[in-house]
Amino acid sequence: MLEILKKTMPFQVVSDTMLRRIAELGKRVAYDKAAIIYDAGDSAGDIYIILSGKVEHTLEPGVNARRPVQLLGAGDVFGWAALLEKFPHRLAKAVAIEPAEIVRINGDDLLRLLESDPDSGDVVMSRFATMITRDYTVPDLIAQMRAIHRKLHSSDIQGMNLTMYRLSLWLKSPRPYLMLIGFGLFLSFWYLAVEVWKLPRFREMPGLTVVIKEWLNPDPSYGLSIYTAEYYQHILVSIWRVTQAFVLASLLGVPLGLFLGWSRKFKEYVFPVFETLRPIPILAWVPLAIVMFISTESAVIYLTFLASFFATALNTMLGVESIDESYVRAAYCLGAKRHQVFRHIIIPGALPFIFTGLQISIGVSWFSLVAAEMVSGQYGLGYVINTSYTMVRYPTIVIGMITLGFVGYVTSAMVRILGDYLMQWRVRELALGGQ
Amino acid sequence: MSQEDKLKSKIQAGEIVVSGVSKEYGANQFAKEVVKDCSFTIERGKLTVMIGPSGCGKSTLIRLLAGFEHPTAGTISINGKPVTGPARDRLVLFQETALFPWMTTYDNILYGPRARGEVTKETLELAEFLLSKVGLQEFRKKYPTQLSGGMQRRAELARAMINNPEVMILDEPFRGLDAMTKELMWEYYSALYEENRRTNFFVTTDIDEAIFLADRLFIMSNIPTRVRAVLEVDVPRPRRLLDIVENDRSNEIKMEALSILHEEAMKSFSRGSKAAADFVEAYSKRVAKT
Repeated sequence: MLEILKKTMPFQVVSDTMLRRIAELGKRVAYDKAAIIYDAGDSAGDIYIILSGKVEHTLEPGVNARRPVQLLGAGDVFGWAALLEKFPHRLAKAVAIEPAEIVRINGDDLLRLLESDPDSGDVVMSRFATMITRDYTVPDLIAQMRAIHRKLHSSDIQGMNLTMYRLSLWLKSPRPYLMLIGFGLFLSFWYLAVEVWKLPRFREMPGLTVVIKEWLNPDPSYGLSIYTAEYYQHILVSIWRVTQAFVLASLLGVPLGLFLGWSRKFKEYVFPVFETLRPIPILAWVPLAIVMFISTESAVIYLTFLASFFATALNTMLGVESIDESYVRAAYCLGAKRHQVFRHIIIPGALPFIFTGLQISIGVSWFSLVAAEMVSGQYGLGYVINTSYTMVRYPTIVIGMITLGFVGYVTSAMVRILGDYLMQWRVRELALGGQ
Repeated sequence: MSQEDKLKSKIQAGEIVVSGVSKEYGANQFAKEVVKDCSFTIERGKLTVMIGPSGCGKSTLIRLLAGFEHPTAGTISINGKPVTGPARDRLVLFQETALFPWMTTYDNILYGPRARGEVTKETLELAEFLLSKVGLQEFRKKYPTQLSGGMQRRAELARAMINNPEVMILDEPFRGLDAMTKELMWEYYSALYEENRRTNFFVTTDIDEAIFLADRLFIMSNIPTRVRAVLEVDVPRPRRLLDIVENDRSNEIKMEALSILHEEAMKSFSRGSKAAADFVEAYSKRVAKT
């Protein structure tokens, strides 16, 4: 029986253990020549797999099958109405036209079994659906299969749950462990190159153990570790500056980008100026920023803001330009006004690009923040790095750098999570493979 | 009154008259005339199919009918009123799926009424009815990328029909579907049409699709675009794929249409069109077989 099952179209792909469990559900029944196995309208409980003999399968006219009559032999599966969503009754008549030996499997039992392994269960059900539409030429409206109820079905989850679901998938995949190995390799190279091999150029650098000792020291030799309040003050000041600059850059950059992409005329006025200012490095702005703003604090925020603003606006504009013309046309056709097209098509359509822009923007803002803090300012991670350099506190420089990297990574992950949350449709498209 | 009757009672089949329409792109010595002095009438309550060799300017004509572009000369009018821009009385289904990927199936279908601020209890009932009509109740909360190609096209049909347009214009809507789904969609679409006899204008390059669906068949000449011949496809409805394949009348019309298309293709072949060359080759094989 197992061999026959393995050859049938729906069960070809399941594992041998699964196949054995399916076979356990089956009951062998022998039918004489001309025995009616079932008739149209009977209630549908079992599906049938032919072991030997021949069966004539006639779909009733109401089904609109293009090939209503089929001759079935060993390895063929019929009686699939037991698995259909809307039809608890037989849609066909099945008659043994020579003595036949047939395996019957209860549809509910089969479904329950498939639920225990939803992944291969889905494959079996979708193979059933294909078989019904293709081999039996039944319209796909009818061939909708009963669903496999799984505890956590990706397409039913919304919002935060979807993010949690993806996190649990991530933890189950090898990716986090590869990441840990990557960090491990990097740190051991640092350790070996500086402290063991003492390679040229690396020799003078603060070593891994020195940095860690200083970082975790309740009484740090250079005055900065996780036990000093100052450390957190620097972090908070930097985060607060980046937040202000990032929010400002997004509030101004996104609308500017949207209008640049939306109105050709507006773009012609503004874009050349925009493109001339964009490549100017932040450091070149420093003198002007100090002249423009009386307080150093607003000068620092202004410098941090600039690069983010350009990144956000440019990506938003590209996002609007990337929108398929057919969506805009369809909206106009359906009676939308110009402002509605802007709200319903342009903004959501540009959202993927906007969030790419925001991720770049938050990265760049850390970048320029440090440049700005090195020039002026009293606190902040950039300030820590710069003053430690002038005061020859090399381990503290590295502490500042690592902290920057970590905080920067967390903020950019937050932007990405927010983006995924707002673009469920796209998360499905990309991450769940259209599930 | 059932939803079916409500839908039917509201249908006003429109009529589109195209007279002396020309369309040029570019200006002065660079001007290229794509459509030249084109005149025809899309009759009320009929399914008119337009077929022509690829690149014959059919898509330009659709954009003109939809109102996205304006003719350089001549007029297009719907029910006697000139067409000035896109409007919900002429709904266009384009080649590419244009379901909004950021809206669920249900929101997509309701987009038209919502945008116009015309959502009533009746519209919502109609939406339910259309969802079941196109077999997508289970998929109402899914996003377009979660639907198969055939489902997407059906969702788009529902999104168009809920607006009760006077004319439905379809530009090669089943292109890119696999052969099996495509044939199912023909039967499906033609059943929808037979139920409520709206004015439909359907553009295609597939002769089997054209004959199966059409009441009237326009055969287009190559650039500049003109109606070269009009054939009445007087094959009884409802039509089923198997019947049509065996129907003598429809095969007769098919041969007639093919020979006109062949002449047109020969003309553009002599002008060096690759598509036309392919067509001529395929046609010669076909004639040799019969």
